[in-house]
Amino acid sequence: MLKVLNVSAHYGTVPVLRRVTLHVDPGERVCLLGANGAGKSTLLKVLSGMHRLSAGEIHFRGTPLQGRKPEEIVRMGLAQVPEARQLFPNLTVRENLELGGYIHGRRELRHTMDEMMTLFPILRDRQKQKAGTLSGGEQQMLSIARALMTRPKLLVLDEPSLGLAPLIVEEIYATLEALNRQGTTILLVEQNALGALDVCHRGYVMETGRIVLSGTARELAEHDEVQRAYLGRDYRHKWER
Amino acid sequence: MAVKERDVKGREEIRQIQLERLQMTLNRAYLNVDFYRARMDSLGMVPEDVETEADLRRFPFTTSQDLADHYPYGLFAVPLKSVVRLKIATSRDGRPIVVGFTRRDVNLWQSLMARLFRRLGITDRDIVQVAFNYSLFPGAFTFNHAAEAIGATLAPSATVSARLQLQIMRDFRSTVLATTPSFALHLLDTLDSDREAGRNHHDLHLKLMILGPDPTPEGLRQRIRSTLGLPVYGLYGVSEMVEPGLAGECPTQDGFHAAEDHFLLEVVHPVTGLPVERGEEGELVVTTLSAEAYPLIRYRTGDVVRQEAGPCPCGQATLRLSPVIRRTDNRVSVRGIPIYPERVGKILRAVDPSIDDYRLVVGTRYGLGDTLEVRIAHRIVSGRADGTHTSRLEEIRSRLRRELGLGVRVQEVPPERMPQEGLTLKTVFREKV
Repeated sequence: MLKVLNVSAHYGTVPVLRRVTLHVDPGERVCLLGANGAGKSTLLKVLSGMHRLSAGEIHFRGTPLQGRKPEEIVRMGLAQVPEARQLFPNLTVRENLELGGYIHGRRELRHTMDEMMTLFPILRDRQKQKAGTLSGGEQQMLSIARALMTRPKLLVLDEPSLGLAPLIVEEIYATLEALNRQGTTILLVEQNALGALDVCHRGYVMETGRIVLSGTARELAEHDEVQRAYLGRDYRHKWER
Repeated sequence: MAVKERDVKGREEIRQIQLERLQMTLNRAYLNVDFYRARMDSLGMVPEDVETEADLRRFPFTTSQDLADHYPYGLFAVPLKSVVRLKIATSRDGRPIVVGFTRRDVNLWQSLMARLFRRLGITDRDIVQVAFNYSLFPGAFTFNHAAEAIGATLAPSATVSARLQLQIMRDFRSTVLATTPSFALHLLDTLDSDREAGRNHHDLHLKLMILGPDPTPEGLRQRIRSTLGLPVYGLYGVSEMVEPGLAGECPTQDGFHAAEDHFLLEVVHPVTGLPVERGEEGELVVTTLSAEAYPLIRYRTGDVVRQEAGPCPCGQATLRLSPVIRRTDNRVSVRGIPIYPERVGKILRAVDPSIDDYRLVVGTRYGLGDTLEVRIAHRIVSGRADGTHTSRLEEIRSRLRRELGLGVRVQEVPPERMPQEGLTLKTVFREKV
């Protein structure tokens, strides 16, 4: 589905990604973990065509992505749910979804919108409400629904759990699992390692722009280094020689 | 929740996984192991300079000496707290090496072995008899764990006598026997003598044998096939990393399929270190891709192998290795125990500095080391065997036995009757009939 090969990226002269190589197979739920500043969001920006890579290749369903415009990438079936939702707060729920489905014709748009409202019943109830008036969890669902409006093959989410209550996070993760079972491949970027590993099959851990660990979700959840860095165990307890 | 690791299929898929894991290994080695970081720094390299296998070739080889130099924990990439198992090995110059495994390492090596078992059709209905000397071959534990992991019934019969092994085999109805080629030969001999005494072997339930860690000579394979009607499968491992699940035969028996998802293999010319053409003999060099506690980058195994050409009829696209053809060093194997002639020399001179020359006379059957006799010569022959002389020979014998873990015959010979050494240093092989 997605192959990232030796991708490097810079902000000015500062390297942010240092030869990142990873892959996501069709039907998988894969997470990318890492602390602030590890380069996760930059990788997503590179994937969506919003940031230029300085070296490497990205293949999506066998086609190279590098050098393509963001809108082309969306049409190819790769959609993103950006960090902090990035909704249009003064537009209604419906209008936000319509913007998400800009690649469709009128009939297809109505059909997809209906599907989204079935998937997220709360959005049907709130469809005339302005997005800015929704609760955090509802906004996150709207953000996911907006990305799904393009019917992506691969859905990429940047920290969907950020700032949400644990119960709401659980609900969002359950939605992701359901979407995945219906055939959408998922790449989840998270700082919330425990939650992400619970919902994913596999994961990668990034540190200062490099992949330093990968494995199945269970292997990572039990891994000393993951526990040390992201699950809040006592640092010294885990890293004394 | 975890998805079962799939058998990797296409070459492209293997290469993707290898690249991911190679970069991860280099990153981890650079961040956590002083030895590797110093090496990369001295070359002006950072891990991200390695984009392809060709880039990796700029990296110097890691040798058995390096491992011994950093004994005990110098090459560990995780704190000891994360290490759940230690394994003691010996460097080629006789110094100790210690290899560490995290829990994940242990699980991984076990899963590699289980994968090899499954490929051979071993299931939860099988009774797997494991007849190894666990202290000489700690890799045998992996057989146990893997057998249990796939739900087979494990019968670790260790080092009991051949007769008792056969009785266990009959009584337990063992279907799989894992042992060394030497012991398999010994079992065949015991069966033969039983047959002469009127007992046939039709009451055995074996369906296959797994022999290692030494390669099984073709003659022995044929004898097992003709007397017991059993296929014999080989495995390959390196004691400084996973042992023995690095590679193994599939039912096609056309080379050892390497676990390329966890190891990057190169076959290089032993002298120049340059890659040889596929199909040519060369030394196997291994980079671990998944080892956490003890990552090895471009480790020279000392085993000379050939990379088999063409795809395997079984459909797996992994690289295949020939059985080990020979060693790049002087290591010989007697009853599965690795012995370095240099080390024997050191032991001899430690006991008796006046020893001038020595030979290892290895009695072989089917090319397998079976017995060891050490012949020693002094510059001035002491003439009559007096009391001190006999006790000195006895001391040498017991010292060798303790240090090598093998009963050795020791004989004093006049220098002119010392046998001519062959290709292997101070060693003569004599095939017994």
